[in-house]
Amino acid sequence: MITCLGDMFFPEVGVAMVTLLRRLGVTVEFPPGQTCCGMPLFNSGYHHDAALVAKRTIGLFAGAEHIVVPSGSCAWMVKTEYAGLLKDDPALKAAAESMAKRTYELSQFLVGVLGVTSVESSFRGKVAYHDSCHLLRGLGESRAPRTLLRSVKGCELVELPGSDECCGFGGSFSVRLPEVSSAVLDKKIANAEGTGADCLVACDAGCLMQMGGGLTRRGSRVRALHLAQVLAPETGA
Amino acid sequence: MTTRAEFLGSIRQEMAKTRGLFDASPVPRSADARQAEEVVRRQMLERWPQALERFREEYEGVAGVFHRVSSIGEVPGVIRRIAHERRAKNVLSWHPGALGLDLRESLGCEGLAVSVAPDGHPDAAARATHRDVAARAEIGVTGVDWALAETGTLVLVSGTGRPRSTSLLPATHVAVFGRDSLVESLEQTGVMLEALHVDPARSMSGAVINFITGPSRTADIELTLTRGVHGPKEVHAIFVESR
Amino acid sequence: MSDASLRTPFPQRAHAALEDAHLQEALGIATTKFIGLRRESFAGFPEGEALRDRARAIKEGTLLQLDRHLERLADNIERLGGHVHWAATGEEARDIVLRLCRDKGVRMAVKSKSMATEEIELNEALEAAGVKPVETDLGEYIIQLAHEKPSHIIAPAIHKTKGQVADLFSKELGGRFEADPEVLTAVARKELRQKFLEADMGITGANFAVAETGTIVLVTNEGNGRMVTSLPRIHVAVMGMEKVIPTMTDLMVFLAILARSATGQKLSSYTTLVRGPRQPGETEGPEELHLILMDNGRTRQIAGTLREALYCLRCGACLNVCPVYRQIGGHAYGYTYPGPIGILLTAMLKGAASVKDLAHASSLCGACKDVCPVRIDIPRMLVDLRAELQRKGIASWPERVIFRFARRIMTSPGLFRLGARLGRVAQRPFVRSGRLSGLPLFLGQWTRTRDLPPIASRTFSERWPGLRQTKDLDRP
Repeated sequence: MITCLGDMFFPEVGVAMVTLLRRLGVTVEFPPGQTCCGMPLFNSGYHHDAALVAKRTIGLFAGAEHIVVPSGSCAWMVKTEYAGLLKDDPALKAAAESMAKRTYELSQFLVGVLGVTSVESSFRGKVAYHDSCHLLRGLGESRAPRTLLRSVKGCELVELPGSDECCGFGGSFSVRLPEVSSAVLDKKIANAEGTGADCLVACDAGCLMQMGGGLTRRGSRVRALHLAQVLAPETGA
Repeated sequence: MTTRAEFLGSIRQEMAKTRGLFDASPVPRSADARQAEEVVRRQMLERWPQALERFREEYEGVAGVFHRVSSIGEVPGVIRRIAHERRAKNVLSWHPGALGLDLRESLGCEGLAVSVAPDGHPDAAARATHRDVAARAEIGVTGVDWALAETGTLVLVSGTGRPRSTSLLPATHVAVFGRDSLVESLEQTGVMLEALHVDPARSMSGAVINFITGPSRTADIELTLTRGVHGPKEVHAIFVESR
Repeated sequence: MSDASLRTPFPQRAHAALEDAHLQEALGIATTKFIGLRRESFAGFPEGEALRDRARAIKEGTLLQLDRHLERLADNIERLGGHVHWAATGEEARDIVLRLCRDKGVRMAVKSKSMATEEIELNEALEAAGVKPVETDLGEYIIQLAHEKPSHIIAPAIHKTKGQVADLFSKELGGRFEADPEVLTAVARKELRQKFLEADMGITGANFAVAETGTIVLVTNEGNGRMVTSLPRIHVAVMGMEKVIPTMTDLMVFLAILARSATGQKLSSYTTLVRGPRQPGETEGPEELHLILMDNGRTRQIAGTLREALYCLRCGACLNVCPVYRQIGGHAYGYTYPGPIGILLTAMLKGAASVKDLAHASSLCGACKDVCPVRIDIPRMLVDLRAELQRKGIASWPERVIFRFARRIMTSPGLFRLGARLGRVAQRPFVRSGRLSGLPLFLGQWTRTRDLPPIASRTFSERWPGLRQTKDLDRP
C-alpha cells in the first residue's frame, strides 16, 4: 500500500521500499487504483464516508498475502479502525478483520515477518529517529526501526530527546490550528538540530511532510528521510 | 430540590441501557476482614525489622527525621533536644492514655510548657481552650496507629484524647511508635482499615483517619518545592524498640 | 469560565497564549518537570501497570452498580450523623450550599481545592450572597487574589512566575515581598492560619467516597484539607457522583497510583479519610457534615459515548503530556477543565456543541491515553465527538465541501489521478527550489511556516509500470 501522501509526494520512498523488499527476496505487487486509507475522513468525524473508502480499499487488497505500508498511521487505520467502521455489515467486517491481520507497517514487516534484523546499505550519516505517534502508541512499535537503523554500518543512530513527542502534524490539525502545530514542530526541530544528526528519520509520510517542511523552510542542514531511504539509498533519495 | 429517589431513579434509567455492554469483575478481597488482619499481624511479627528499615528509608526520603530509642523513657530526651534546637517552648501532646507517656512530668520542669489533650467528652469550653492551646503549640506529639513502610507514611486515627490538630497546627510534629504498628504495604493497610471498620468493639472514637507522608508541602509556585505551608514544616518519628 | 473570554474564538485565544512569553516559559518548565516526575515514579514501580488495570476495572464495575453504591454511601453517612444532599444540576448544588450558609449564619467559608466547586462557580455565588469564600490551597489562593480561574487541574497557578506572585501579594496584601517561593509560602501560611480558625464553614470537594464505610477521602499536600475539615463548625463536601468507590481495599488501589500520576509522589503529604461529623469523644471536628452528591450531566454518560470520562481521577497527567496544552496552557481552553480530559468533561457538562472547536484541538497523538492512570481512551472519544459534531451539521460549509470532495477523490481512482495531474499544473507558480510555499486558502495556513513538497513529477503509480519491469536492482 503506497498511501496517498506516499503516492503523490514521496514516490521515492515507495521506490526505496520496493527495491529493499525485492533485495530481500520478496515478490512485490502493486494493486492499481489505490487512493487513500480514509484516515483524514475518519479523524475528522466523517465516518460514513470513511467507511466507503475502507470498503473500497479492502476490495483492492483482497487477494494480497501481506500488505506492507510505509506509514505507521495508515497501517494503524487499517489494522485498528476498519473493522469498527464496517461493523454493521458482518461480511465486510470479516473482510476488514482479515485485511487487518495481513497488514504491516514496513519496519514491523521486515523485523517481525521476514525476521530481518540487519540490512546492508550504502547509507552514511548520523541519524536521529522520531517515533511517529501512531506507530509508537497505536501499533506499539519503537524497537524495529531502531534495530534496522543500528544495523546499517555507515549509520550512526543518536537518540532524539523527546523522540516520543508528537511532531505536530495530526492531519487536518496542522491546518486547523497551524500556529500550535508550528510551535510543536519548532520544539521537534530544535531537538533534532541539537543532536548534530544529518538526518531525521521517521516511518510516516505525515510526520515527514511536517518535519521536512519545517526543516527546509529554516534552511536546516538536517534532512528528513523515511526509514526506507536509509535502508535503500541508491534509489536516489 | 431533587430527592434521593429521583436522583437514583435517573441513574437507574441510564444504567438499564448498558445491560450486556460491559463486563466487570469485582476486585478480589478477603471475605473475613478479621482473619486477613490476623494474617498481616502474624507476618509483621516476623518481618518488622525489614519493614522498619524500609520505613526509615522512605520516611527520610520525604524529609522526615527518624530517631530510634530503646525504651519509652528515652522519648522525652529526644523531644527536649528537638525543642531546644527549634527554640520551642510550647509542647502539646495527645492525652497520656492515648500516647502511653505523660510528658508533663518528664518535660514540665525543663522550661517547656507542656499541655495534653483532654480526655473523655470535652464540653464546648474545654474544646475552645484546647483550640487556643493547639494554635500556640510549637511542637505536637502523637502516637501512631500504623507506620506504613512502603511510602514512609504514618496513619493516625483521631478520637478521644487524640485530637486531629496535634499533628497539624504546630510547626513540628513528633510521632512515637513501636514495632506493633509497622505494616509493609498500602495493600496491608487496606486490610487493617477493613478490619477496623467492621469490628464494633474497635469502633473509632474519632471521625478522621489521616495518612501523613512527610511535612506539609506545595509546589504551586513555579513547581518549586516548599515545606510547611499550612501543616507542620518538620516531622519526626521516634521508634521505640522495647514493647 | 467567563463569557467574555469565550466570545473570543478559540484560535485567537490560542494565538494569545502562544504570544505570551511568561506563559510559554512557565508552561515549558512545569509540564516538563511533571512529565519527568511521573516517569521516574512509574519507572521504579513495576506493579504500576497492573494497578492501573485494576483501577480501571474498579471504576467500570462501580458504574455497573452505581445506584447501589450511592445508596450505601448515603446510608452510612447518615448513620454516622452526616447529611446527604442530591443535586441534579450545578445550580442546585450551589443553592444547597447557599441555603446552608443562610440557615447556619455563615459569613466566611474556607475552601480546600475543589474542581467540582469551580465547575459550578460556587465562589461567585457565595460572594453574591454575602458570604466570603477564602481559597486556602496556595495555588487557588493566588488565583483568587488575581481574580483568575485555575489553568491546570492540580496546579492552578502554574501559569504565574514567582515574580508575578510576589507582585500580586504585594499589591493585594500590602507590603513588599521577595520573589522567593519560601517567602511567599510563609506569607500565605500566616494570612490563612487565622482564616482557618475563624471560618464558620469549610468547603471541600472529594477525591473519592468509600460506599462501604461512608468515608469521604481528600488527597492534599498542604494541610489545608485537614484544617478545613476539622476547625470550622460545618463541613460541606461537593462531589461528582462518579467519585464513589465500593471499599477500603479499592481505595488503596487508587491511592497507589494517584499521586504518582499527578506529581510523582508515592503518596501526597496528606490523605484524609473523613467519616461523619465530630464524634462525642472528640475535641475537634465539625458539628455538621454535609455531602452534596452532584450529577450535572454525568448520569447521561453512563450509557453514553463519554462514559469512560467518568473514570477520571483529576490527576492532570494528560495535561502535562498534551502537545496542545503544553503550548497554550489552561486558560485558552476557556472552560473549567482544560487539557485533553477537559474537552471531554466540557462536552459532558455543556453538550457537544460547546466543544466544536476544542474537539479539534488535538493531533490525536495518544500521549494522554498513555499516561492516564485509568487508561481512558481520550483520542477515541475525541474522534467520536467530532463524528457527533459532523452528524449534527456543526462543521462550517467550506469544510464539509472539502471533505465531501476528498471522499469523492478517495473512492475514484480516475479522479485521484486527474487530481494529481491538475495539481502539478496548478502548483507551478508556487514552486521555489523544489518546494512549495505561499499557497492560497487553507493551504496557506501550512505554508506560512512550513514548506510543502510539490506533487511529484511522476507519482509512484505512474512509476510503477517501469518498476514492475525492473528486476535489475542496481538501477534507480
